[in-house]
This record gives sequence, structure tokens and C-alpha cells, in this order.
Amino acid sequence: MSKEPDIVKNAICTFCGCVCDDIELTVDPDGKRITKATNACVLGKSWFLEHKVEDYPVAMINGKEVSFEEAVEEAAQVFVNAKFPAIYGLSDTTCEAQKEAVAIADYLNGNIDTTTSVCHGPTGMAFQGVGESTASLGEIKNRADFVMYWGGNPAEAHPRHFERYAVTAKGMNTPNGKEDRTVAMVDIRPTSSSLIADIFLQIKPGSDFELLWAMRAMVKGKALDNTLEERTGISMEKLENLVERMKNCQFGVIFFGMGLTMTRGRHFNAGALLELATDLNDFTHFVALPTRGHGNVTGADNVVSWQTGFPFGVNFNRGYPRFNPGEFTTSDLLGRGEADALCVIASDPASNFSQKAIEHIKSIPVISLDPKPSVTSQLARVAFTTATYGINVAGTVYRMDNVALKLRPAFKSPFPSDEEVLRAIKHRICELRGIMINKTAAA
Amino acid sequence: MKLSLHTQPDVPLEADVIFPDLLLEKTVSEAAALEIFHGNEKTTLGDFFTITDENNDGTVEVEGDLSKVKLLGSGMSFGRLKIIGNVGAHLGAGMSGGEIIVEGDAGDWVGREISGGRIIIKGDAGHMVGSVVRGSSIGIQGGEIIISGSVKNELGNGMRRGLIAVGGDSGDFTGVNMKAGTIVVLGQLGQRPGAGMVRGTIISTHNAELLPTFTYDTTYRPTVLKSIFIYLRKLGFSLDDEYINGNYQRWSGDSIELNKGEIFLYAE
Repeated sequence: MSKEPDIVKNAICTFCGCVCDDIELTVDPDGKRITKATNACVLGKSWFLEHKVEDYPVAMINGKEVSFEEAVEEAAQVFVNAKFPAIYGLSDTTCEAQKEAVAIADYLNGNIDTTTSVCHGPTGMAFQGVGESTASLGEIKNRADFVMYWGGNPAEAHPRHFERYAVTAKGMNTPNGKEDRTVAMVDIRPTSSSLIADIFLQIKPGSDFELLWAMRAMVKGKALDNTLEERTGISMEKLENLVERMKNCQFGVIFFGMGLTMTRGRHFNAGALLELATDLNDFTHFVALPTRGHGNVTGADNVVSWQTGFPFGVNFNRGYPRFNPGEFTTSDLLGRGEADALCVIASDPASNFSQKAIEHIKSIPVISLDPKPSVTSQLARVAFTTATYGINVAGTVYRMDNVALKLRPAFKSPFPSDEEVLRAIKHRICELRGIMINKTAAA
Repeated sequence: MKLSLHTQPDVPLEADVIFPDLLLEKTVSEAAALEIFHGNEKTTLGDFFTITDENNDGTVEVEGDLSKVKLLGSGMSFGRLKIIGNVGAHLGAGMSGGEIIVEGDAGDWVGREISGGRIIIKGDAGHMVGSVVRGSSIGIQGGEIIISGSVKNELGNGMRRGLIAVGGDSGDFTGVNMKAGTIVVLGQLGQRPGAGMVRGTIISTHNAELLPTFTYDTTYRPTVLKSIFIYLRKLGFSLDDEYINGNYQRWSGDSIELNKGEIFLYAE
């Protein structure tokens, strides 16, 4: 008689920042693959169903298979011999692993940075500069009657954002879903998301800041010159109408994506949007949230913040944490040829950083932790194959609205988790440096 | 005292002991023993610099490719620091007096949060010249930063007092969140100058597109600009008479803030 498949209820999808926690997984009786992912979106289905346990070596040094212990020893030696070790990635792993990475950076007096620095890093800088008016996605689902998306395409990047949280979701004060909401979209071109918008503002590329600044002036009743339409593509009349609707809603929210934060103006663009939300609180309740991409990039910000005081781009060279985006963010410091060792966790900078940074990556020892081979792992001196978080590994992740969720993995992997690898490296570093730590303490 | 870089650092060298207040009180051997950070490693000044006691006129001279050397002249309050070569980030950070002269290019954060003194860069400089550090709202509170070449973004971010003059172009957000003070850019201003400025003056000898929250006031020949330009000539900038005696458009902004900032653009 064949064995019944295992069912994992309320599993969590860690593909994107929505971190949907209502997935029902059917696990094949062989315990090596998922055959069904009910409730998952197209991206989530691909995340779960295409995950297979493949026959990669657990660890390699210079491309040759070695034991886990040998790789840990080599990684620890690389780290302790470096004067400027940099740790990067961390957005696709658990908070428990992120915590170990921060500990390593602290023990080594190294540098730690996450992929936030190349996506919503400007948002983090804007939070620090101008503050944040925020809410949980649950509150938005239940209360928001005006929803705006700026510089993002959630229909393709976060497919369940509309139905679970913000557009068609039915909540306590929004029982009719989309009928109870006004949906506005701002982008430089029509997208599959803009099709559902009641108001679509197609703006000229690179004019986000000017438009946001003009909206702030309108909200505050301040002077504006008459070149707005020529510069942004949006007429004064249309913008005035939009601003009036925003001022007169009951609960408004602006979600913003990398179309805003990674275009010219960066942290000032994000800051202008956050300040607009704050300004609107003189008239009604308004919040603004970044739509985060990776499954636990929000967790990375939280873990690095609660352990160092800063969200990303943190340097411990002098024994205490210092934050300075541009100076201690990985893409910048590699571009200037500053780090002399790099540890990459669940990221692939060798394929997406600038050419100068990639050239420098090729010239220094790299330690890589990734479930699959990547360009970075191919050129790494020490490469670990790790288990996939959410599918094979339990732990904590943060949804894009900073709500912590516990993972419910589907089946075990033959590979160690990022947390196990990082903890082993940390212990060996402490031995080499003569630092006493409690190895039996919980992670 | 003269310091010559004899060993190129592999990773950034944080040499915040190189400033006249400290070095001029030391003998050569004492100076060589001063502690600096090479990445995360504590080392000494003598491990990287050959130090000689060549002059006694209150000048500290540093030479070599110092592009990986940070924090030179930070916190200085008197004397003269002369740098021959390119220099790294945070030059003259938080200085309150004295003079720094760089015969080369400088990195990012030149003269961040200074309150006095003068920094002269003969080449180009990076981002955040004369600006705040992240998380702070007030930039320089006095002093002068004079740059012959061009600079990148956020020149004078949060500036409250002082003078910044740039011979070439400036990047985006020149004078962003300015509280007061004067910025002169003799080349082209980047995008969005004066965004969020409360008070203060930005002057350019080129036209520029301003934010919609700036309003045109008038075109005239302000006497104060003549005084500023004549002062800049004395500092070594070559300025044609047409700029000194020319007409300038005056724009007010940023209306989102107090609307008491002013941008002067040369009117041909």
C-alpha cells in the first residue's frame, strides 16, 4: 500500500515580501518534493513546486568537494586573517541565521550589509531622516479606503498583495473589497497592475520627486509654478483632484517600490513620499509602506537594527557599530576596492553589482552560502550548499509590514541551514581569537 | 612636520590622528607611535608614513596617494594641513579652525559638519561636501570650503552657516535642506537644487531648472553678489567681469518650507 502524502497547513511562502501564511502544501511520500501548493500565487507555486533536493556537494573549497568541517575551518581562517571582512546578503534566510551573521561581523570587527542597500536602502535612510507613518497590512485590509501604489508592479511582483491586503481584500470596514476603495497607481508606463486602478498617473521618467514635491505643496496650500505638466506629464487639475481625494479619505495608504527608491533622487524620493504621508495626517489618517521584495529582507533590517542600532551598511572596524550608506554599503566599498574578504549569504553580487565591484570580488577570498550554485558561489573560495528557508528550514521571518511569522517547513534537507553553517564558523572564529562563548546557548 | 606615505594601505586607513593640533605637539618618534586603524587592525602612523621634522611653521604636510586614507584633518582647530596627492573620505570632518589645502582630488564627506576654518581643494571632490552625517539635520555651521573642480551630489546638505564655493559643476540636490549660509557654483547645478531649503543663498553663473516650489521674483544686479565674487577672485577663482557685474534672476523657495531661501541664476 502506498504511503499517503503529508499535508502542511498554513505553510508560509518566503518567495516575496508578502510572506503569505495560508498555503497548504502537499508533500510527496518520498519526502523530497512538494506536489501541490494550494492558495499560492504563480510565483509561490513555482517557489514550492520547482524546489528539489539536488545532488550538490555540501561544501567546496576552490571548486573541490570537501567535508563540512574542512570548509568551516577554511572560512574561519579567511575571516580571521582579513582586515576588512564584509558580510552581505541575508534577505533570503531566517532571522536566526541573520543574527549569527551579525555576531560574526561583531566578533571580527568587520562590515555587515544586506540587500536592502540595493533595494529599499534609500527608504531606510528616509525613515531615519523624516520618520515613518505606518500600519500593519491587517489594519490596511480592514480600514484603508484609499490605496496608492507608486513605482511598483504588484500584480507581477507581489501577486497576492491585492487580494490579501489592499485592493480586493474584504475587511471590517471594507466589506465590499475594491468597491469600498479608491485605487491610484503612479508609474512611468501602464502595467498589469495599472489595469485595476481607478486613477492612473503616467508620469515622465525621473519626475517622481517633482510630482511628490508638488503634491506636498498642494496639501500644505503653498505656491507652485505652472510648469508642472510640462515637467511631470500630469496636469495641475488632475493632481489637485487626486490630492483632494487623498485629503478626504478615511484611511489612506501609499505603497512604494523600487521604481521610486532606485531612480535618480533615491532617498530624497522616498523621503518626499513619507513626508507627503505625514503632511496628509493634518487632514486624515495616512500611512506609507515600502513593498519589500525578498522574503525576509524586512527581517534583515529588523535583526541588524536591533543588534547594531542601524538597519544596513554597518561597520565594526573600530569595535563599535557605525552606519554610513555610501561608505559601508557593500556595492560601494567593493567598487572602491576596500574589502579584503567577502561572505555572501543567499545573494549573488557577482552577477548584479557594478563591473568594478565584480572585478574586486574576483580578487579577494569569497565565502558563499546558497541553496543553489550561483555566479558568486562559482568563484567562491569556500562554497556551502545550504537548505532552503521556509521549505526545509524552520525559523522566523518578517512580512513587509514588520510582522514576525514562524516558518512551517515541508520536509528536511540533507544540507545544513545557513544558521548552522554560520554558527559553526562563528564558534571556530571565537576559538581562533580566544573568545569565550557559550556554545550550548540557544541561537 | 612632513609625512610621506611609504606603504599603500590594502584597506581603508582611518588616520584621524593626522591633524596639526596633535602632531605639532609631538616629536617625530612620538608621532610615529600614534595609533591608527588599518581596517580592523590597530597599527601605528609609522607603519605607513615616513615622518620628518622639516618645517616649524605650524604646517603639517602629507604626501602620497592618500585615496584610501580617511579622516585626515578631522577635528583640527588651528594650524595648516597641506596634502599633496588625492585624499580619501571625511577630510576635515568636524574641524573648527585652521586651514587644509589639498593639491589633488578629495573623496566624499569633505568638511562634514565643520564649524570653522577653511578647506581648499585644488581638484574635484565627491558626494556630501560640507554636509550632514546621515541621521543629523544640521550640516556645516561655519567656515569655508573652496573647491576648484567639480563636486558630486548633496553639496552643503543641511548647511546652517559658512561659505562653499565650487569652480566646476555640482551634482544633484545642491543645498538640500539648507538652513542658511552661501553656496556658489560657477559651473552647472545638478537636478533639484535647494530642495527643502529654509533660508540661505545658492548662486550659479549658469541657468538651472528649479523645483516647482520655487517662484521667480525679479532680475537685477545684487550688490552682495559682486562682493562675494570679488572675494572668490581673491581666493584664486578666475571669474569674468560679465559675471561679476551681470544681471541675475532671483528665485524664492522652497515654498514647502519657509520660502526664505534664494537662488540666483546668471541672466544672459
